[in-house]
Amino acid sequence: MSSDKVAIRIRGVSHQFGEEGDARYVRALRDTTLDVARGELLCLIGPSGCGKSTLLNVVGGLMTPTAGSVEVAGKRVAGPMPRDIAFVFQENALFPWNTVFENVNLGMVFQGVPRAEREARAQRSLEAVGLKDFAQHYPGQLSGGMRQRAALARALSLETGILLMDEPFGALDEQTRMILGEDLSVLLARADKTIVFVTHSLGEATFLADRVAVFSARPGTIKEIIKIDEPHPRKPDFVTSAKFTAIRNELYALLHDEIRKTMAESSVGPTP
Amino acid sequence: MTAASAWRRALRRPWVARIAVVVLLLGLWEVAARWWVDPMFLSPPSHVFASLPAVFDTRGVPAALRITFWELAVAFALSVAIGLSIGLAVGLQPFARKSFMPIILLLYGTPQVTILPLFILYFGIGPASKIAFGVSHGFFPIVMTIVAGVQNIKPILLTSARAMGASRWQTLRYVVFPHMIPSFFAGMRLAMTGVLLGVLLAELYVSTAGIGYFTTLFTQNFDPTRLLGLISVLAAMAIVLNEIVRRAEVHFGRWHTD
Amino acid sequence: MRRSGNERRGRLASRAVQATFLIALVALWYLATTRWRVSPLLLPNPVAVLRDFWDILKTGEFLGDLHVTLTELAAAFAIAASCGVVVGYLISRSQYRIRVFEPLFAGIYSVPIILFLPLYVLFFGLGPASKIALGATIGFFPIALNTVAGFGYVDRVLVVAARSMGASDVQLFRYVLLPAALPIILTGMRMGFTVALLSIIGSETIASLAGLGHRIVHLAEGMEMAPMFAYIAFVVAIAAILNVLVSMLEARGRRP
Repeated sequence: MSSDKVAIRIRGVSHQFGEEGDARYVRALRDTTLDVARGELLCLIGPSGCGKSTLLNVVGGLMTPTAGSVEVAGKRVAGPMPRDIAFVFQENALFPWNTVFENVNLGMVFQGVPRAEREARAQRSLEAVGLKDFAQHYPGQLSGGMRQRAALARALSLETGILLMDEPFGALDEQTRMILGEDLSVLLARADKTIVFVTHSLGEATFLADRVAVFSARPGTIKEIIKIDEPHPRKPDFVTSAKFTAIRNELYALLHDEIRKTMAESSVGPTP
Repeated sequence: MTAASAWRRALRRPWVARIAVVVLLLGLWEVAARWWVDPMFLSPPSHVFASLPAVFDTRGVPAALRITFWELAVAFALSVAIGLSIGLAVGLQPFARKSFMPIILLLYGTPQVTILPLFILYFGIGPASKIAFGVSHGFFPIVMTIVAGVQNIKPILLTSARAMGASRWQTLRYVVFPHMIPSFFAGMRLAMTGVLLGVLLAELYVSTAGIGYFTTLFTQNFDPTRLLGLISVLAAMAIVLNEIVRRAEVHFGRWHTD
Repeated sequence: MRRSGNERRGRLASRAVQATFLIALVALWYLATTRWRVSPLLLPNPVAVLRDFWDILKTGEFLGDLHVTLTELAAAFAIAASCGVVVGYLISRSQYRIRVFEPLFAGIYSVPIILFLPLYVLFFGLGPASKIALGATIGFFPIALNTVAGFGYVDRVLVVAARSMGASDVQLFRYVLLPAALPIILTGMRMGFTVALLSIIGSETIASLAGLGHRIVHLAEGMEMAPMFAYIAFVVAIAAILNVLVSMLEARGRRP
């Protein structure tokens, strides 16, 4: 692919925690190479501890890999790139002492957006996620789903080309996940963002992704990439279609052994 | 409705029962002081209350109360200033924290009351020693709570700020400091308790113009009425001061959900 | 992720800083009294303090005062513990009583009770009785409050499970309530002990004829700086030892 069409270039990324012989030594990621196309939604899916979150952190510049490199917007990633990359984490990363609006605003303060623009951008992104009426609430007053909407609004207001989402709906119940997934699909059809989305859920990956990268057990590397040819925004009835089921089954087949393998050797070591 | 059942209904609310308990105790005290105990040793609350004006009329008492209050205020302000400086210096730098916190904790654990005579020797018998002793009790909780407040930040918040491009100064200003505020106010509440203890201990030990002088005077003259009166006033002062910091803590810790 | 070698180095460095700090302090002290001519009436020579400390231990002159202080402490703690646990248990039996008394106790405890020392001295005199009474009063509150917390907030699920298996009142107390409440009560006792010790030393300092606190005051009034420092060190050491012992007992009692 020409450089214009590639948003993220991942080359031979490996990562380990600690040194060999240490009690806490973990080989999280093994020789991962991948191109993420501009404007696509790529899902990373795999068993626990396979390194998908590690890869996301490496891509976003929060971690320096022990081997390999990542290129974003023509530059080599050497640290956080707030103008090009925004994060949505699984854990609640909103500042509890600020209102939703203040949280969204603060992200732009960090990035360096001029004051005159901030209010407009904040309003736009809050409206896009459906939280316009809750701008003056504190995160503690909101449900889990609404908090993640707020986190998404904060990320959107930064108007980056790339959005990295690490199991953003992981802590939510199934029904909230479903709704948020549908809303995300609608939102993304409008915006022109490159998204890398880590998830555990087969259904979520199938519903949202243009491509799904399936990881092997730890030390993880990409086992296979599945392409999903279905335009965004995806309708709720896509979920009940035969195409969906087929893809989901394929993912299941790919993952099942890896999951079993991971469970078998579970116990010692942190899950990156 | 009979009086008895109305009474029982009212008692069902805890705060009413609490007042009833206090009233009961005061009643017992009244009875004991009037009929059982030698008036040289104990005075009934009615007398104490009635003689409060006399306490204030005693030459030097109002001034002594003012001095003591001033000692408390200065000691508290100094505790906050010193505690904040040390707390931030130690808390923000992990290496400083690992090196100095054990020393601070060790000092905090020693019974400071043993060196009270030393404080008097060094700072004299005037207000300075009371303030100094108050500060030495008051600044520790502030240091500890600030260090804890800085340490307790969820790493995800710092990661998130870093990912959004926050500079070190921005992280301090928008993440670390706001996070620290509830701890700071909790520390101030504890500091007030410490300052009260320190200043009052020093006053009771030796005092020429503070309330300690008068407690000694009333004790030696076997004047339980005025002694109780004075102590009640001081206790009231302590309760009010404690309540002020407690309310401040509740107000400023609003977002603290855990 | 930090490597373990790095961690070890970091810890050594902190220890080094602490050691340097303490050594520098002692060195300054020594220099101040020998080279810099600070008056011995202000700061005694550390060597003299060490010598006096050793003398005190050797001759056993501390025994009299230590005996007074420890008996006061023992008596005060015994009273505080027994009253505290009994009262705490009785209060914990009903939610209503908890709601009435717990805030009351917490409120009283928030006032510096040492304030009432002159009253106790007036009533009990300058002898051990006033120290015991004050120590017992102050020590009572953390014990009572923790006992209320311990018994009052036992997980309902455990009680229901035991009852469903047919436990009697006595069995419930012995096998469910007491083990569940014990760790919290023991913590309260440790706190009560510490606070009683502090209040006893404090009241001995302020108004007493005997005891370790009084000894320090006596030496201060006589401007005998070196022995005073030695006794201060001694009292701090005793307090530390007692606190460690009590903490160990608490930990022992908490282990299931």
